[in-house]
Amino acid sequence: MTGPMIGTLGVVLLLLMLLIGTPIGVALGLVGLGGLVVTLGLEPALIKSAVLTFETMTRYELGTLPLFMLMAHLCFAAEASRDFFDVAARFLGHRRGGLAYASVAGCAGFGCINGSSLATTATIGLVALPEMRSRGYSDALATGSVAAGGTLGQMIPPSGALIVFGIVAEQSIGSLFTAAIVPGITQMLSYFLVIALLAWWRPSIAPALPRAGWRERFIALRRMIDIGLLVVLVTGGIVVGWLTPSEAAAVGASGAFLICIFRRRLTFATLQKALTETLKTSGLIYLVIIGALIFAAFVSVTGLTDSIASSIAGLGLGPVGTMLLVAVFLLLIGSVLDGLAMMLLTTPILLPLVADLGLSPIWFGIFLVRAMEIGFVHPPLGMNLYVIQGVAKDVPLLRIFKGVLPFLAADMVHLVLLIVFPVIAMGLLDWVGR
Amino acid sequence: MVIDTAAMLGRQIHWPLLGAIEVVQAAVLFGSAGALVLASLEHSHARVHLLLDRLSPRWQGVLLRLHQLFALVFFAGLLAGSAWLALDLWHGHEESELVRVPYRPLRMTLVLALLFLLGLAARRLLSRRPQ
Repeated sequence: MTGPMIGTLGVVLLLLMLLIGTPIGVALGLVGLGGLVVTLGLEPALIKSAVLTFETMTRYELGTLPLFMLMAHLCFAAEASRDFFDVAARFLGHRRGGLAYASVAGCAGFGCINGSSLATTATIGLVALPEMRSRGYSDALATGSVAAGGTLGQMIPPSGALIVFGIVAEQSIGSLFTAAIVPGITQMLSYFLVIALLAWWRPSIAPALPRAGWRERFIALRRMIDIGLLVVLVTGGIVVGWLTPSEAAAVGASGAFLICIFRRRLTFATLQKALTETLKTSGLIYLVIIGALIFAAFVSVTGLTDSIASSIAGLGLGPVGTMLLVAVFLLLIGSVLDGLAMMLLTTPILLPLVADLGLSPIWFGIFLVRAMEIGFVHPPLGMNLYVIQGVAKDVPLLRIFKGVLPFLAADMVHLVLLIVFPVIAMGLLDWVGR
Repeated sequence: MVIDTAAMLGRQIHWPLLGAIEVVQAAVLFGSAGALVLASLEHSHARVHLLLDRLSPRWQGVLLRLHQLFALVFFAGLLAGSAWLALDLWHGHEESELVRVPYRPLRMTLVLALLFLLGLAARRLLSRRPQ
């Protein structure tokens, strides 16, 4: 059996193991380890896997993830999630669809302190959905805007998915964060456009509220000034190169800790909860990263990626055509695998192909996370839809899906624009000279 | 968190904290070993639920046992390799370059964490109720 055939068999086996619900890290690691045993022999396979595990668990960048998560948990304890929505609602609520804009903006704001789509959706959903529904917004628009807006948590730095991609693909996390800023902002603007068009087409689904006075607006702004400064320091520090991502995460967690004390929200119970949740989620992701790196080593040894790259090059589609094909492939895979599994299965296979096409791995990271985000809002998986249903239990899933459809269409257009105009991701990076 | 913040502040005031990265690397290993153990104890590992949630309890039980078997084999492989490396390098007195953080306790921590994960998977595989 040739190397690429063994690699293909490994990928199929992995897909099957993932589909039957094997923990993602175990599935990746076991297929990788088994594949290395078949291709290299028992002793080299065990040593290679052990070396990868030790090297991964002593990687300086690995500290970034739990510290950003701790920052998010502490900010949540300080009730920052409500502040972002409140400010946006005071400034935009008087417009038709204003609370839907505020929900998306609140998701983007909360995404600046939190790197998870699901957490952003759940947190902003708890605050924004009751408000929108009580003000006469249609259920479809209310749930759709939060479900779609929640995906911004994954794109806007600090993003958990980008940290994992950076570690697995050995790319600079700081560059990935910088490159994600413009795609995050344009994604938010595309959702604004969808809301504006819906409110213009059917004004009754998104009634305008009375305009908030400047005094009310400033009170809301003052409440979030501490968190706002922390976000500027952390994200700005990475972009201009003052801070490495690990340092930014440490500064963010320390700052969030001080904000909790300052707001008198820090108790032993909240701190314990924040630390336990951080540790649990980190453990989940660490196992996945270790498994993914062992799987990547196996795929690289088999030569599968070279074989796929030469087959695709033979099609003569060029970079844009190839990436459109890859996007369709990712969206199909995203229908059966969750985002993390999809990213870790495809990164070792697609990254060399992207390099062969002359595209930047940083751009590919942004593209992959964007494709992952779409999986969060399209059935049958569409985790954000289920999260929203958990918050608004009386809204049927079908109505939530109907509500998210226009945003899903905007997502597709945004993904195509990202492929056709890579400058959306790479422009800021080039501009700051990284 | 404290070391990284102090290192960053030190750099800004031209008083660099020598070896901060090496200390953080050691802390990352202790933290990640603890995180792996806690996530496993709490059944927090990520999995795809598409099929699993739609099966009868009997078939769910069968699959959960199969997953534990997979975990057992995987952790056994990692443990064998890690213990092998640790023994091989035991007398090599590995340490970091600047502040000479010894690697022996780090390798031992990893081996102990993997041993715990292996034991946990074995216990769950053999328990009456599938976990």
